Amino acid sequence: MCNCCAEKKDIYLPAPAAIQEVKMLNGTELYLRLSMDGSPLEYVPGQFVEVSIAGIGEAPISISSSPTLGDSFELVVRKIGNVTNAIHNLKKGDKVGIRGPMGKGVYPIEQTKGKNLVFICGGIGLVPQRSFINYVLDNREDYGIVTILLGTRNPSERLFHSELEAWSRRKDVKFLETVDKGDEKWKGNVGVVTTLIPKIENELKDAAVLICGPPVMYKFVLMSLKEQEVTSDRIYLNLERKMKCGVGKCGHCQINKYYVCIDGPVFCQSDLKDVPEAI
Amino acid sequence: MSKPKIAIFDFACCEGCQLQIVNLEEEILDLLGVADVVEWREAMSEKSDQYDIAIVEGSITRPEDEERVKKIRSRAKILIALGACATMGGVNKLKNNFELDDVKKCVYKQDANKPHLSTALTKAVDEVVNVDFKVHGCPIDRKEFTYIVRSLLLGKTPEIPDYPVCVECKAKGNPCLWEYGQVCLGPIIRAGCGARCPSSGFRCFGCRGYVDNPNVDAAKDVIEKYNLNIDDLKTKMVLFGSTQEPTL
Amino acid sequence: MSIKKISKDEFRLVVDKLIGKGNVFGVKSKGDKFDYGQLESSKELRLDYDVTLQPPKKYFQPPVETLVTYQGQGNYNSQYDCEKFVLIGVHPYDMIAINQMDILFSQDNYDSHYFARRNNATIVACDVVNASQNVFASSMNTAVVKDGFDVLLTDIGDSYIAEAATQKGEELLALAQKAGEATKDDLHKRQAVWDKNKKELNKHQLNCSVTYLPKLLERAYNNPIWEEKAKTCFSCGSCNQVCPTCYCFNVQDDVNWDLKSGKRERAWDGCLLDGFTKVAGNHEFRNNRADRFRHRLYRKGKYVPSKIGGQIACVGCGRCIGACLPDIANPVNVYNKLIDDIGII
Repeated sequence: MCNCCAEKKDIYLPAPAAIQEVKMLNGTELYLRLSMDGSPLEYVPGQFVEVSIAGIGEAPISISSSPTLGDSFELVVRKIGNVTNAIHNLKKGDKVGIRGPMGKGVYPIEQTKGKNLVFICGGIGLVPQRSFINYVLDNREDYGIVTILLGTRNPSERLFHSELEAWSRRKDVKFLETVDKGDEKWKGNVGVVTTLIPKIENELKDAAVLICGPPVMYKFVLMSLKEQEVTSDRIYLNLERKMKCGVGKCGHCQINKYYVCIDGPVFCQSDLKDVPEAI
Repeated sequence: MSKPKIAIFDFACCEGCQLQIVNLEEEILDLLGVADVVEWREAMSEKSDQYDIAIVEGSITRPEDEERVKKIRSRAKILIALGACATMGGVNKLKNNFELDDVKKCVYKQDANKPHLSTALTKAVDEVVNVDFKVHGCPIDRKEFTYIVRSLLLGKTPEIPDYPVCVECKAKGNPCLWEYGQVCLGPIIRAGCGARCPSSGFRCFGCRGYVDNPNVDAAKDVIEKYNLNIDDLKTKMVLFGSTQEPTL
Repeated sequence: MSIKKISKDEFRLVVDKLIGKGNVFGVKSKGDKFDYGQLESSKELRLDYDVTLQPPKKYFQPPVETLVTYQGQGNYNSQYDCEKFVLIGVHPYDMIAINQMDILFSQDNYDSHYFARRNNATIVACDVVNASQNVFASSMNTAVVKDGFDVLLTDIGDSYIAEAATQKGEELLALAQKAGEATKDDLHKRQAVWDKNKKELNKHQLNCSVTYLPKLLERAYNNPIWEEKAKTCFSCGSCNQVCPTCYCFNVQDDVNWDLKSGKRERAWDGCLLDGFTKVAGNHEFRNNRADRFRHRLYRKGKYVPSKIGGQIACVGCGRCIGACLPDIANPVNVYNKLIDDIGII
């Protein structure tokens, strides 16, 4: 390699990281805690990393931990493609490549300080939201009323059981949960996540609302929020798209004028007015 | 961990795709470094009933072939269809456009009715058994074949293009053969060959089969634009695509 | 910086000197067409060409290039192609496309792989002598270029006016020992070429000012033209592949036979292709041909311009028009139809 190139940072070069801890959260989701070999990953909630498995490729994965966790960071991965399949085979001590953190300064940490917050999570949409939820809970005095709505397809797909239980026991958090379809043991709400929205009419007043879930969920949640007169400047959506480079070049994640990788993945709804491809 | 076992079989074909594997020359040694080839009639005399990956060349043209390929399927964890005959019936499938008796008489003359020359309608391998991966082409592309094998050994689903040959043809800087009066099938045929034929001045014959979602309306429109009729295009497609969907 | 007058014979000598020193790429004939290729001799160079089959982007972003190699998990190394080269014959519209790529590959995140090649290039641009069948550079304000090149050549008959714009350009011109300073009269002749090209590189006339396009597209998103045109779109990506301002790419790993080491490559991709937006699990966000067809023209006329200071990311080379078999790719036809439909306000 010549000197003309060595001077500049290579945005495509993954840095080594080691798996510190790995466990299955349910039948499909794998939890990993990693630490960079070099200096720790500095990130804010809502950012993501490109996880690189040599020979297989890269996949963009949301960071699930709060920056308050310390030197390591957490990912949750569903087995769905080549890279995530390979990630599911990793063991403690294994090495992977990491590029990132990627994405804009993401969740509106500063704008929402002092405000009431409502998190609406669908399925593994909980994974990126958890980063900001835990950040807020670790800085609880900076925020107003905190409400978390969680919808999961069925009880067996629920994630982070002990954390969910801890949230439900906290007096300073309102935690409501539902499943699309219950089983014999399930005693809680049954129905899609939008059925919880009328129950938090008061909490929604003046709150910033953060949404993450499968693509189909957004339309229905936004309709319910409109009925509750939540204005678009208070709504934040975490959007998923195909990503390759993660650095605003390759074009795959583009939704109209935005690149999800550098302009998102969290967008304020009022910035999506002339972005019909978003929802 | 023991090396995965690979077996290579042939049915109705010219064995040209296996020849492409033979032509890997030194790279075969690389392959043997990570996998054991336990049966391969074209290159070795050993046989085996124990294998993880079965590579099947050729189309299925007789009832006894169906039984044989089903047996192969039942023994293999992964079955790869190798080359156009296996992936879509190939040139052999031309036969299906005629009456079988006429075909036999044409080929075997007075011997047509001898029992060992029995024949049936031609089928691609996946018309008989489940196929996990297809190595397209007539013949296959060596580079793509080795990429697919390495991917499978790594536990990765190989990424096979679902875009037309035009992509690779334009990336090579070729002028469009339609401008020179050739009825090239490139716009509706799956890439992955590196646009080998158009790069040598020959139209695409369609040996890799259609892309998943070919635009039939566009093809009709282009035919009109070039003052051709639909039969002109059909006759170009018959070699590999005579009984394939979509029909024009 | 100097502006010289170089006889055509003298320029051939310069090219041969350059070929003697290193890699020189230039425009050559290819059948009855033209394309860029490595020059073995100045005799091959055809500066009277109309348009090349491929734009010169391949010298900065090759169809396939290795970004990193790996020796095992977590063990990656950058790969760069840093050989110096000279590129001769870049038309103004293509030069402007390169200038736009320079902005796009440096903003947000600096792409060191692109610039490894870009910084090692010496570009000799040249004004158009023969207009191609589909060029519409005059409509796009790209018939003449003012910067980005190291040397700009203008054919004024028996000789070239050669303007050096950089130190690299000066060094190149210094090889023309017999060249003299251009006179006022020579510069008038050059100006005449520019004035002519500003009007006459226009086989398709855009019926609005090029700067109006983003505004036009603001009101055109739901126009029926996208569905109409896309009915006969093969989704073959030919328009993307031949476009000097299309730079989207795919990234893929290939592993060596040891199943441990290997390379990660990027390859040209195209937003028209089926699967361009398909995620693992098979959900495809821009599944509809018409949406993909619209996306390309919005990128050229609205999205990319918002990233590069309002410059329109279609430079009027006309290659997509020639490359599109069903004849739907012509951006001017689409933009003009929109003007007919919704007017200019």
